[in-house]
Parts: sequence; C-alpha cells; structure tokens
Amino acid sequence: MHIPENYLSPVSCAVMGAAMIPVWVHAVKKTDRELPKEKLPLLGAGAAFSFLAMMFNVPLVGGTTGHAVGGTLIALLFGPNAACLAVSVALLLQAVIFGDGGVLAFGANCFNMAFVLPYVGYGVYRLLLGKQNGRTSDARPYGASLGTSDARPYEGGTGGIRPYVAAFIGSYVGLNLAALCCAVEFGIQPMLFKDAAGNALYCPYDLGVAIPAMMIPHLAVAGFVEAVFTVAVFALVRKTAPDLSYERMLADAPEAGKKKKYIPVFALIAVLIAACPLGLLATGTAWGEWGADEIAEIVTDGKALGYTPSGLESGWSLDVPMPDYALEGMNETLAYILSAVIGVALLIIIFKLISIPMKGRRNPS
Amino acid sequence: MIPGWMKQTEQYAPPRDGGAFAIRTLRAMGGVLARIRVQRGRDGLGIPPVAKLLLLLAGLVTLALAQNRLLLLAIAALVLGYLCLLPARTLWAVLRPALGAALLTLLLFLPAMYIRPAGAGNNWVVIGKVFLSVTMVSLFNQRTQWNRITAALRKLRVPGIFVFVLDLTLKYIVLLGGLIVDLLTARGLRAVGRDRHKYRSVGGVLGVTLLRASELSRETWEAMVCRGFTDDYKGL
Repeated sequence: MHIPENYLSPVSCAVMGAAMIPVWVHAVKKTDRELPKEKLPLLGAGAAFSFLAMMFNVPLVGGTTGHAVGGTLIALLFGPNAACLAVSVALLLQAVIFGDGGVLAFGANCFNMAFVLPYVGYGVYRLLLGKQNGRTSDARPYGASLGTSDARPYEGGTGGIRPYVAAFIGSYVGLNLAALCCAVEFGIQPMLFKDAAGNALYCPYDLGVAIPAMMIPHLAVAGFVEAVFTVAVFALVRKTAPDLSYERMLADAPEAGKKKKYIPVFALIAVLIAACPLGLLATGTAWGEWGADEIAEIVTDGKALGYTPSGLESGWSLDVPMPDYALEGMNETLAYILSAVIGVALLIIIFKLISIPMKGRRNPS
Repeated sequence: MIPGWMKQTEQYAPPRDGGAFAIRTLRAMGGVLARIRVQRGRDGLGIPPVAKLLLLLAGLVTLALAQNRLLLLAIAALVLGYLCLLPARTLWAVLRPALGAALLTLLLFLPAMYIRPAGAGNNWVVIGKVFLSVTMVSLFNQRTQWNRITAALRKLRVPGIFVFVLDLTLKYIVLLGGLIVDLLTARGLRAVGRDRHKYRSVGGVLGVTLLRASELSRETWEAMVCRGFTDDYKGL
C-alpha cells in the first residue's frame, strides 16, 4: 500500500500532507497528555515493531504484494494516537532508508496507514466491545490484582473470545478502508491530471481500475493477513503481559472515564474523513461531464506550474507531435549535450557495477 | 576401535518444507536490519545536513512538478553524473532500491501502456521519475549519517517527540531485528523435519519481540531518568 514517488501528482501530495498536519498535531498533544512519561520510549519500540511488521510481505494476485501494517495492533496496545505517531515514523524510515514509499507521498501514505488504519481499526474494536468493556475496564484494578498468571484478567465475567473477534474485525475493516483510500488517491489522478491529449500524467489507472485492483486482493488476502497477525500477537500479549494495553493505560490515567466518551465520536469522524474522497469521486465524474473545454482548463491550470519556468505557453502538450518537434528543434544542442552526459554517466556506472564481482574475486575482503 | 555404524556415511535429507514464506520473510528482515547497522554514510560534499535535506526536498519537488522533458533530462544528467563519481559498492547500494522501484513501476504500468499506447510516453516519464526520485533519496541516505539527519530535522522545528521517537526507532529496529534473527535461528535448530505449525510460531516470534520491546523501552526510560532527562530532546 506504499505509494511511491510520482504516482500521485505533487498537488495531491501537498493536499494529503496538509490533511495530516492537524492529525499529527493532535496525536502529539494527545500522546503527551495520555501516555505516562515512562512509556515514552515505548513509542519508539512500537514504531520499530510496526516497521518490522510492514516488512512481512505476502505475494498477492495481480503481481502486487500486501503486508500487515500492524496499525490496529499498535492502536490496541498503545492507543490510536501513539499508533499514528509510531506508524508515521516507521513510514518515514521506510521512505528515507529503503526508498519504500515516496518522500513527497509521505503525507498520503501517512493518511492511509497512520491515520485511517489505526483510528478506524481501534474505533471498530471499541464499538464492537461496546459498553460492556467500559464497565469491566472500570473494574480493572481488580483484574490487575489477579496478576499476570491469569489468562484473561480484563473480561471479568464476559466471554474471553470477544475482544479477539473485535480485534479481528477491527483490523480487517481498518486495513480495507485504508486500501480504499489508497485506491481512490490513485484513481483520481488520471481524472484530474492529464495533458491536453488526455493522457495521464501520473498514475494511469482511473477509479474503475484502481479500486478493484486494490480492493480485491486486500479484501481477499491482505485483510485476513492483517487480522490474523493482529489477533495472534494481541492474544499472546494479553496472555503473557496484560499490563501492556491501551485500556489499562487509560485506566491508570487520572481522567480516564472522561476520555472514553469521545472514542465513538472519534471513530465516526475518522470514518467521515475517510469517506471524503468518495465525495470527491462523485464530483470527479461530474467534472468529467462538463465537457472538454473545462477539462482542458483544469488541465492547463495544473500544468501551468510545470511550464512557467520554461517560458512556454500554457496548453502546450508533450504528446502532440507538432509542438514536440518544435521543442526538439529549439533545444536540440542542449538535449544532445544532456543525452551525452547521461550516456557517459550510465556507461561508467555499468562498468563500475561489473567491476564489483571481479574485485571480489581478486580481493576476498 | 571405531564401531562400524560410526563409519557409515549418513544420507539424511530433510523433507521439503513448503510454504515457509513467513519464516523467509522474517529472515529477509534480519538481512535488512544488518543493512541499517552497517549504514555508516560517509558525509559527501561537506554540505551541512540541513542544506542537504532541503536540497533533496527541492530536487524531489522539482522532479515531481517538471513536465518539460528537457528539464527532466537535465535532472537525470545531474543525478547520473554525480552517481558515476561514486565508488562501485556505494553505487550498487544506491542503485538497488531505485532499480527495484523502477522495475515494479514498469510492471504496474505495462497494462496501461498496452491499453492506451498514446499515453505510453507519459508512463515512461513516470517510470523515469520514480527511478530518479528513489536514486536521490538513497543517495542522500548513503551520504548522510542518520543522527545528522535527525539533528537536521530538529533544526527544522520538527517536534521533539517526533525526532526522539525517530532516533529510538532506528536503534530498536536493530536490537529487535537481532532478537528476531536469534529467535528464528533457535526455532529452526529445534524444529527438525516437517513443521506444521509455522504460522503459529510467527505469532510467537513477533509477540515475544513486542514484549522484549516493552522491556527495552522501560530500561531506556530508567536510563534516561538516571541521566537527568528533562522532557526536551535535542537529538543525539
């Protein structure tokens, strides 16, 4: 689900990044207040764990791969705000160190995997557990006093399987909603950003292709991978270290009861925000029906940024043959020199790469 | 006197164990962690990291915005020109993720090119841009030490808690990755023959890792308090 660089237009990246800023600010503030200070390094541990979870690649149909994100799991253990920060950090490391996901697309990736996924996953989990858990969580000190040897210290009299089912469904829904957001981000690219000839400038697949291509493998496989992963680790943690839980943390915090009321509201807001791209989808098709003139206008608007530096007139297109030739004619020398530089550089790179195994043979170190 | 059975050559081939991708993924993880550990990143060019970071961002934005092919060609010439000055091993480390990303993009875009040949030119531009972007990022990463990157982020007024988590995460990844590799090695040594409970062991391995993570974080906190941590993080 990592969106690489240049699949999304810079404008979309900027919009998604701007959308993430209030979320991050909220998460940082909330974490600061909610998380006991001694749990601060746990954020780093959670991020490291999320990073490792995301490397868990499973081959999916259609040549793509899916991976567990672990966002819901971290939200269950450390709270959705901490999960947002932890997954964001993991995504940043992946983008910078491994080139997995774009640096400019960081905002979009965070929106899908660090915002939609943990908040929705956690919200669904809370909704499914309902009030029942709220009551038992008030009685938490009693459960905790039973010690770690007790297999289910939280449930009190309620069934032990319920939290796991809730965690399973929560992580499944969370991941799929995140995948849907990702698909919509891909899908609106060819609608909004194309050259005058109607060819997509960024991701070439529209919603009709992007949504099934993303959703089918996620609904069929990746969602279950995420859910099984979440439940397996969640079960182990609840059994062996019941202290390590967000509910427990909230119960320990002084204003715990007050906070719980907001969580369903939060889930609702998260779902609404996640649904926003769907609204955009509707308007997107409406745009398409306006007619060619308006589309051309929008397109040239979007492209004006790219063209002003070169001093060319707006509306000029790369794939219309005539202006293209004109461009070639105008800057032939420059293009030629640049091509020569690229060619020479490529040759040097290739020969250096060839030299690696040879050096290794001569010099075993 | 050596008994006869000791002289016999044993022919034991463990049964083929299919579907071990989970375990293999975890092993690959260990390899990646090793890569972080050796990430020394000699500082190239002597530019301060903040400037390098800003330069990288500017480069990425320019590349993403550029539709003029001449400009793209110029960026390509610049990046490849700098690249060819690097020693061979660094070169490979920089190019590997970039080639991987470009290849994946090519595979993803092939159907689109087939369906709509008129748009193929633009698709090629995107593939080239993906390659150049990833090259620039991994170049930056290779030539800059990580702690300088986080210090640069701190200077750019990124919240302290974020930078703090970033720094800790990298250290934990190495520590926990080592733990995962150890756990898997131990598991592999104990599991002889066909293993029907691979998926169960994956949950166990990651669960234990998580518990160890919480333990480590508590120890870190204690160490921080002992050293007089005052809620303000300035970078390592």
